[in-house]
Amino acid sequence: MLPNDMRAVREKMKKTIFGLLFFSLIIGMGFAILYPLIKLAPVVFNNLEDLGNPDVIWVPEQFSTVSFQAAMRLAFGNGMPILQSVGFAAVIAFIQIFVSAIAGYSLGRVDFWGKHLVLFLVILTFVVPPQSLLISQYLSFKHFDMMGIMTAMNGGTIDLLNKPYTLYLIALFGFGVKQSMFVFIFRQFFKGLPKELEEAAYIDGCSFYKTYFRVGLPNAVPAIMTVAILAFVWNYGDTYYTGYFHPDGPYLSLKLATTFAPANVNHILYAIRTWYDVPGATTFAFDAAKQAAAFIYLLPLLMIYFVVQKRIVENFEQSGIVG
Amino acid sequence: MAKIRVSYKNMRKIHGIVFVLPWLIGFILFFITPLANTIKYSFHNVGVADTGGMVQKYVGLQNYIDLFKVEVSSQSKQFLRIFSDENLNIFVNTPVIVVFSLFCAILINVKFKGQGLARVIFFLPIVLGLKVVVDLIMVTTGGDVADAAVSERFDNGMIIDFLLTYTFLPLKVSIFISDLANNVFLLLSQTGVQTLIFLAGLQSINKSLYEVAKIEGASSYEVFWKITLPLMSNISLFAFIYTFVDMFLKSSISTEVYYFAFNKNNIGVGSALSVVYLFNVLLDLLLLLLILSRVVKLNHAAK
Repeated sequence: MLPNDMRAVREKMKKTIFGLLFFSLIIGMGFAILYPLIKLAPVVFNNLEDLGNPDVIWVPEQFSTVSFQAAMRLAFGNGMPILQSVGFAAVIAFIQIFVSAIAGYSLGRVDFWGKHLVLFLVILTFVVPPQSLLISQYLSFKHFDMMGIMTAMNGGTIDLLNKPYTLYLIALFGFGVKQSMFVFIFRQFFKGLPKELEEAAYIDGCSFYKTYFRVGLPNAVPAIMTVAILAFVWNYGDTYYTGYFHPDGPYLSLKLATTFAPANVNHILYAIRTWYDVPGATTFAFDAAKQAAAFIYLLPLLMIYFVVQKRIVENFEQSGIVG
Repeated sequence: MAKIRVSYKNMRKIHGIVFVLPWLIGFILFFITPLANTIKYSFHNVGVADTGGMVQKYVGLQNYIDLFKVEVSSQSKQFLRIFSDENLNIFVNTPVIVVFSLFCAILINVKFKGQGLARVIFFLPIVLGLKVVVDLIMVTTGGDVADAAVSERFDNGMIIDFLLTYTFLPLKVSIFISDLANNVFLLLSQTGVQTLIFLAGLQSINKSLYEVAKIEGASSYEVFWKITLPLMSNISLFAFIYTFVDMFLKSSISTEVYYFAFNKNNIGVGSALSVVYLFNVLLDLLLLLLILSRVVKLNHAAK
């Protein structure tokens, strides 16, 4: 055999082995990520009385949707909470985008006085966990007084707790779920945008605001998409702001967290046993109902995710978080 | 009235301030005021008066002393213990999560058939890592035969045995590795956003750099250490900080704050806990920055 041939064979071998290793890594990692979901499937479709039976682990003997019915009845009602939660998350995400985008535009584009200080404050608010401010936030919301303005106007403070607009108010002033990070993303993006566009707009007689809405914002689609996805997912899954500042609201994340809290195991088991006539249901049935609920809860997220996933990466690339 | 003439530059600055104004108001309302109040409460004994207002009595450092000497958490643990556990946990897990996500990003950055599907799966943790979802998917029941079979835990002993027999690693390292393998699902569920950050970073690297390296005859190993990694230092800083903050958000300390203030009705000690928690985060971040600046040379010009 010629030495050239040998080399070609060796190269080929190397490539095959490398490819094999590579794909096994990809598949392995993918499996590890998906495993919690895969594990759900046999549990939620299983007959409730078969749960806990060591003979039935991966393939249900009797197919049943009782855990879904139980989950629907316990947490989702007629499906309205899902719509309400999705709507809420969308509105909050919209507010967050708007506020973060204008703040980010200003921080990335305009050299106003104290810009570096404000940028530092944005980063500071990002690293400080909101939980550490919970107590005094809670107390100040109880007797909300916007720097004395409220007292001057109505002669008293207002109670912001458990009001539907409280969360919108927080987002409107830039302190919703991880909003400092969104401001930072927008800032990085606008900083990297070419200046010429704005200059052209200015020469053509656009005012500052018109330039922003006509030139800045339409060019920021990648950043907007990125922030929109993250903001939507995080607001949909938020239990902190909803739980403390509007606990009676129709938020699915919160409802699931409280309904399926470990303290409720016996109530839910009792309910399942009597509703669906399965006296043999054990604590595994509670888990099954819980996981079925998780499944339904994830559905809207997964649907949106599959619609946008093609664009999510390219948008993130261009969104300038990198800079 | 004389018309005030403002130059274009100054006008622009004023408009700029108008744009950050909502955030600034929020900063005063929802950040600085609560922060100042939290620090104030932590030095006071806060109670509710008969008339409904709040009564504050200055007690100095008593709340802090109580927090570490007298009080216990909702799980009846001492706070010194909780803080040291959480810090250790976060310092061990943060690098692991960051390295995992960097690894994922490198894997899906390679062009191959089915790359789209792989990306879909590798970004799923953004959705699956939500705290609600993790809590819901977690199995609450334990100790049964079937549960052991379907739970997310491997057989620990096997891994340790394997590592001890076939490698020269000491026992402690083996236990650490087997713990990692145990928590791999939990760790992977935290990687979504970081993978996204790293992938964006990887794709922003100029392709010509790789071409030059190839022409100069660098091996792919050298390319990774000499080109990819140094150019990712800024991004890894961001990923590190993000992971760090996220881990602290999900730590058990944050729930204790609520427990103290509203279940035990002890606002003073709860505030003291908040302040300690806050300083803990900031201190750890400083430490992280110090370590990172030693290890990698940060490219400050790009910031």
